Amino acid sequence: MNWTCEQTEQLLTDYLDGLLPADEQHAFNLHVNSCERCTPLVGSVTHAMNSLRALPELEIPPRFVYNVLDATLGPRETVNGWAAFLVWVRGLASPKFAYGAVSVAATFLMIVTVTGSINWKKPKLADLAPSNIYRNTNRQVHVAYGKSMKYVSDLRVVYEIQSRLKQDNDLPTNRENTTPETNPTPGRTDGSGPASPRQQNRANDVSSQLQVLAEEVPLLSGKLSLVSSGSLNLMMSGTLGAR
Amino acid sequence: MEQDAQLVQQCLQGDGSAWEELVRRHSRRIFNICYRFTGNRTEAEDLSQDVFLRVYRTLGSYRSAHGGFATWMTSVTRNLLIDHYRRTKRDRATDSLDDAMPVVENKESAGRRPDEQALLSELSAQVQVALTHLSPELREAVILRDLQQLEYSEIQAVLAVPEGTVKSRINRGRIELARILQQMGVRPS
Repeated sequence: MNWTCEQTEQLLTDYLDGLLPADEQHAFNLHVNSCERCTPLVGSVTHAMNSLRALPELEIPPRFVYNVLDATLGPRETVNGWAAFLVWVRGLASPKFAYGAVSVAATFLMIVTVTGSINWKKPKLADLAPSNIYRNTNRQVHVAYGKSMKYVSDLRVVYEIQSRLKQDNDLPTNRENTTPETNPTPGRTDGSGPASPRQQNRANDVSSQLQVLAEEVPLLSGKLSLVSSGSLNLMMSGTLGAR
Repeated sequence: MEQDAQLVQQCLQGDGSAWEELVRRHSRRIFNICYRFTGNRTEAEDLSQDVFLRVYRTLGSYRSAHGGFATWMTSVTRNLLIDHYRRTKRDRATDSLDDAMPVVENKESAGRRPDEQALLSELSAQVQVALTHLSPELREAVILRDLQQLEYSEIQAVLAVPEGTVKSRINRGRIELARILQQMGVRPS
């Protein structure tokens, strides 16, 4: 197929838009690749078309839509006073806002309850003052810290008693192997004589601490009831006296 | 397209929100056609507003059987642009390529270096200047084809000319644009 420069120019758009049949496109390519006049023409037109297609799409000017709506539908109605307030309140009735408000309220209540900022039996507006909230929170933190320290101290006492009772259980076998006291108390031959005053005081001290602990920690009181104060005194006296 | 037809029906029944939706859907496209044709933002904004006013007034004459609403609206835009061109022809009588001062456009700069961005903006401005130096017949044809990417049949409906004429105008428009760009010193890299 003989292809001319005129044909190239006339059918350039068909070529660029991919509308040429296969045989014509082949002839077009053959001609353009060998023609000094058509090669720059196709190159420059392709460049112009691509540059045109690369032009950015501009944003519409601000308020354009409102200007058009005002010019066609007329100025929008403006509401004042109570009507505006009602419109505003109606806007708050959306589910999104309601969920948000409920979650904020729940969070606030949780924080206020945990920090003890408000006395729910006698709530006062002053409780919501930031200084009062800070003071109450600070007090609550200190009280919680004091209670936890006391609880740890009581636990240490319980562990100490348990470890000593365990040692006491291990003693009888040892006691059988030991020789009797060389200087037993007159009138007593079972070796269960009263402990020295220092040992007695320590037993009384532990007993009183256990009582306090039982009051503070009711859960432990059942277990600790086995170790009543009287028997504890005797046990401690015996244990300590045997040493 | 069907949604446009529905919105038009709702507009005709007095539904203001349907009209607002139509304006929002088409305002950017109409504004861009006007801007590319005139090369001036203020004129483009005024003309776009005139387009919507005319469309609003003549909405009753639109028939979906005659083509899509977008095509009909583009046709209204084209008529207004040609009217505007004829009205202001005398003002532009002294315009020449030397007088044309390219205005750098703000192109979306995602992922481009500043120097690439500057080159692209400069090229965009030069292409816009070249575009406004095309005759209105060729200009509208290349705008509809290469910028709005309409099919030949749609351009034929908008310009109300045979398809052969559409092809011929697009072809001549592209060749003329390439020639103007070469005159401006813009060559393929």
